[in-house]
Amino acid sequence: MTRDSGELLPGTFEMLMLKALSLGAMHGWGVAERIERLSGGVCEIQQGAVYPVLQRLLRRGWVVADWRSTENNRRARYYRLTASGQRQLDAEIAWWRRSIGGVDRVLRAASQEG
Amino acid sequence: MSWVHAFRERVTNLLTGRAWDRGLEEEIAHHLELETNRQIAAGCDPAVARARALARFGNPREVTDATRDERGPQLLEGGMQDLQWALRSLRKSPGFTALALFTLVLGIGAATLAFSVLDTVLLRPLAYDHAERLVFIQEKTPKRALRPASYPNFADWRDKAHAFDRVVAAQFPFGITMSPSGGSDTDPVRIELMGVSRRFFSTLGVRLAAGREFTDDEHKADAPFVVMVTYEFWQTRMGGHLPLGVLRSGDDVAQVVGVLPPNFQFIAPSDVFHPLERGAGTVRSAHNYMVVGRLAQGTRLESARAEMTALSKSLFATYGNATEAEDAEVRPLRDYVVARYRTMLAVVFGAATLVLLIACTNLISAQLARGWAREREVVIRAALGASRGRLIRQLLVESVLLVGAGAAIAAVLAAAAVRVVRAIGAGLVPRLNELTVDGRVFGFVGIVALVTAMLVGVYPAVRLARGDAGLVLRSTRGSANTVQTSVWRLLVGFEIALAVVLLVGSALLIQTLHNILTADTGISTHGVVTATISARGEAIGRIEQLRDELRHLPGVESAALADRLPFAWGNRSAPVRRPGDPVDHDWVAFAGFRVVTPEYFPVLRHPVLRGRGFAESDRAGAPLVAVISPGIAEKLWPGLDPIGRTIATNYLFDKWLTVVGVVAEASNWSMPRGSQNEIYVPLAQHPTATEGQFVVILKTAGDPHTLFAPVRARLRELAPNSPAQISTLDDRIARSAADRRFAMLALTVFGAIALTLAAVGIYGVIWYIVTTRTHEIGVRMALGATAGNVQREILGGAVAMAAGGILVGSIGGVFATRYLQATLYGVSRLDPTTYIVGGLVALLAALIGAFVPARRTSRIDPMISLRTEA
Repeated sequence: MTRDSGELLPGTFEMLMLKALSLGAMHGWGVAERIERLSGGVCEIQQGAVYPVLQRLLRRGWVVADWRSTENNRRARYYRLTASGQRQLDAEIAWWRRSIGGVDRVLRAASQEG
Repeated sequence: MSWVHAFRERVTNLLTGRAWDRGLEEEIAHHLELETNRQIAAGCDPAVARARALARFGNPREVTDATRDERGPQLLEGGMQDLQWALRSLRKSPGFTALALFTLVLGIGAATLAFSVLDTVLLRPLAYDHAERLVFIQEKTPKRALRPASYPNFADWRDKAHAFDRVVAAQFPFGITMSPSGGSDTDPVRIELMGVSRRFFSTLGVRLAAGREFTDDEHKADAPFVVMVTYEFWQTRMGGHLPLGVLRSGDDVAQVVGVLPPNFQFIAPSDVFHPLERGAGTVRSAHNYMVVGRLAQGTRLESARAEMTALSKSLFATYGNATEAEDAEVRPLRDYVVARYRTMLAVVFGAATLVLLIACTNLISAQLARGWAREREVVIRAALGASRGRLIRQLLVESVLLVGAGAAIAAVLAAAAVRVVRAIGAGLVPRLNELTVDGRVFGFVGIVALVTAMLVGVYPAVRLARGDAGLVLRSTRGSANTVQTSVWRLLVGFEIALAVVLLVGSALLIQTLHNILTADTGISTHGVVTATISARGEAIGRIEQLRDELRHLPGVESAALADRLPFAWGNRSAPVRRPGDPVDHDWVAFAGFRVVTPEYFPVLRHPVLRGRGFAESDRAGAPLVAVISPGIAEKLWPGLDPIGRTIATNYLFDKWLTVVGVVAEASNWSMPRGSQNEIYVPLAQHPTATEGQFVVILKTAGDPHTLFAPVRARLRELAPNSPAQISTLDDRIARSAADRRFAMLALTVFGAIALTLAAVGIYGVIWYIVTTRTHEIGVRMALGATAGNVQREILGGAVAMAAGGILVGSIGGVFATRYLQATLYGVSRLDPTTYIVGGLVALLAALIGAFVPARRTSRIDPMISLRTEA
C-alpha cells in the first residue's frame, strides 16, 4: 500500500498552522496557501479543514482573531498567534524534532542489524 | 493570559452565535474567491476554476458544522439549531412521536395527578392562619388508648395550660332539622349541627366570608340562640343574601351571625355551628369533644406535651377513674386529620411512580431502537466531522423536546382531570374537596419532566455515541441486533415486572373491597332501606304511624324503628354497671346504646343467642327490659347466665333494666370484633331517649333502590317538616370502605395503564426484531421454514421475556405489598392465586403485544426479502 503523497502525518496539522501563523497574522485561505507553498506542494491539505482547527486554536487561546481589510480592500478575519500560542508552537516543534530524531535513529539502526 | 482569550472567545461565541455564523460564511466565501482567483492565475480555465476551488476546499456545509462543533457550548444559537434538527427528525417519524407522546402523557399525567392529591391532602398546610401552630389534643387512658376529650377535662386544659394561646373545642356534630330563611325554598332541611367553644374560629385562624364570630356573651348557657353557617349552606340554602337571615327549628329562631369561608370543614362535615355552652357536658367520662390548641408563639410541641402530661396526671390524681384520662396526646392538627390516609396516599403515589418508570423505560427502548436505525446516519455524520458531543446533544434535545411536550400536555390534562378526581374523591378522602392544580403541582411536573428527560435522553444518547463506528459501517443492516435487542429485552422485562407489581396490588385491593362488602356483619343487610328522619318533638305515636304507613308500601316486607342506623357507632358509648357498682369510676364495661322497636331484630335477621328479643308487651309501664351483646355479659357476669340480671347505662341514668336476651354482635369490618358492645332498649319504654332522630328500617325482597322514590314521596306527604335521608345498608357499608375504594380505583387504573405500556413495549421490540430480520427470516423461509414456525419462535421469545419479568415482578410484589398490609382485609398479601392471576394477565398482554407484529412475518416474501438486502 503506497501512501498518498499529500497526506499529513497525524498530529502535525495543528503544528503547521501555528507555524504558518508565527510568520505573521493571516486569514484562513492565506494559512492554507502558506502551508502548501512552504512545503513545496508536499503537504496538500483539504483547505476547508483549516477552519475547525483555527476555531480550536482560538478556543485554547493560542491565537486571536479580528476583522481587517485585505490589500484588495475586502473584509477578512485575520488570525494572530498569541504568546501562549508561540510557547505551544515551541513545545510542538521540540516534540516533533525528538520524534523525528527517534524514528530516524530506529530506521538507521534497523539497516545495521538487518 | 491564554485563558483570558479563551474565555473571551467563549463568551463571544455564546452571545453572538448568529453573527459568528455569518462571519464564517463570509470567511468561506472569501476563501473560495481567493482560491478561484489563484486557480485562474495558475492557468486554469475560469469556467472550471470555481469547481476546482470547491474541490480543494471540501463541502462548505461540513466545514461549517465541524467548525461550529469546535466552538464549545453554545446556549443560544446552537440550541436553536439542535431544536430544528430534533423537530425535523420527530416530524420524519410521526408514528414514533405519537406513541412516545402518548406514553409520556400517561406516565407524567398519572404522577401529576397522584402528586396533586398527595400534596392537597398531606403536604399543604391546613387552610388556617399559621396552621403549623395548631395541635390536636386527646385524652390518653391508662391503657394508652386515645379518646376525644370530655367537656370538664377540656375546660381544665383551657384554663390551666400555659403552652397555648388558646384551647378550643368542637362537639361532634349531630343531625337536626331547621328551616332557613332567605333562600328560594324555606322548607326544613336536615343539617349537621356542630357546637363550638368560645373564639373557636379565631383560634383556628379562619377568615370569615361574612358577618362575625360569636361574642363571649353569646357563649353563655342562657344566651339567645345564634348560629354560624358554612359558605356552601349560605349560598345554596339561604340565597347568599346579606344581611344574614335566620334558621328556625320548631319554636326556636336562630339568628345567623357569620358565614365561614368556602370549603371550610373541621374534621367532621357540618353545615351549621352554634355555641356549645348551650349544652355543654358535665361528665368527665363522656368523650364528645374535639380539642384544638394554638401553641403560644415560640412554644415547642415537646414542651406542650410535657405540660399536658403533667396537667393530666394532676387531674387524674384529683378525679381518679372518673376522668379516664391519665395522660394526653398532643400532635399537629394536620397529622390528626390525615393520619388514616397517609399510607393509602403513599401507595397511590408509589403506583403512579411505577407507571412513570414504565413510561420512561418504554421511551428509552424506543429511543435506542431509533438510534440503531439511525446508526449509519450518525456514523457517517461523525466521519464527516460532526463531533460525538454534538450528536449526543442533538439526541438529548430530541428527548427534551418530547418530554417537554409530553409534560405540557400532561399538565393540561391533569388540570382537567382534577375535576373528575375531586368529584370522585371528595366524599372518600378528606381535603380532596380542596384539590386544585397550582404552582406547586406545576413545579412538580417540571422536576418530573427534567428527571424523565435525563432518564430517557442520556442513556440512549451516550450508548449511541459510544457505538462502534467500524462495526456499523461494515455490518449489513440489522445483523448487530442480537446485542442490541438483549438490552431492549431487559428493559421490556423490567416494564412487565413493574406492571405485575401494580397488578398484584390492585388485585389485592379489589379482593379487599369485595371482602368488605360481603363481610359477615352478623346481620342481614341485603334489601334493607333506611330512612333517617329528624323529628324532634314529634310524639312517638306519630313515628310509629309513619313506620306502619311505610310498611304498607308495595314491595316492603317488614319494617322496624331505631334511633340510629346499624353500624353508625359514632361516639355514643357510655359505661354500664351492675347494681352495687360505684357510679363514678371503676367502670367494668362500656357499651353503645340503641333504642329499637320489637321488629328490629327479626327485620335485620339479627340472631338472638339467649332469651328473647323485644315484644309488644315491653311497653311503658311494663318492667324495663334490655337486650345486650355477649361482650357485656362476659365482662359483667363472666361464666354466668345474664338473663334476668339487672343493668344500668349512663344514658338512662337511674333506671335499672332487666336483661331479657343476648343478641349476636353486629360487627362492621371497620371495627375489630369484640369491641363494640351494645345495649338495646325498647323504644316504647324510652320515647325520649332518641334525641329526636329516627331511622325507619324497611326490608324488601327486590332491589332496595326501587323503594327510594315511593318512600320519599310518602314521607313528604306524611311528615313534610321532617326531611329524610334515604339509603341502603349495603351502600352505607360500601361508603365506609371509601378510602380503600379510592386506592383500589387508583391502583386499578394505574395497573391498566402499566399493562398497556408494557404491551406497547413488547410490541416495539418484536416489531423491531421482525423488521430488522426480514432478510434472515426470508432465508429461513426459502430453506423451508413456514411462517408458522417463525411466528411460533418469535412468540416464544416474547413469552420468555414476559416470564422473566413476571418472576421478577412477583418477587417485587412480595416486597411492595408490605405497604398495603394495613389496608388489606380478608386476603393475604402473599395470596398465591393473586400472583398467578396477575402473572397470567401480564402474559396475555405480552402475547397480544407480540402477536400483532409477529403476524407480519407471514407477509414476508422470501424472494423479495433476499433481494432487498444490500
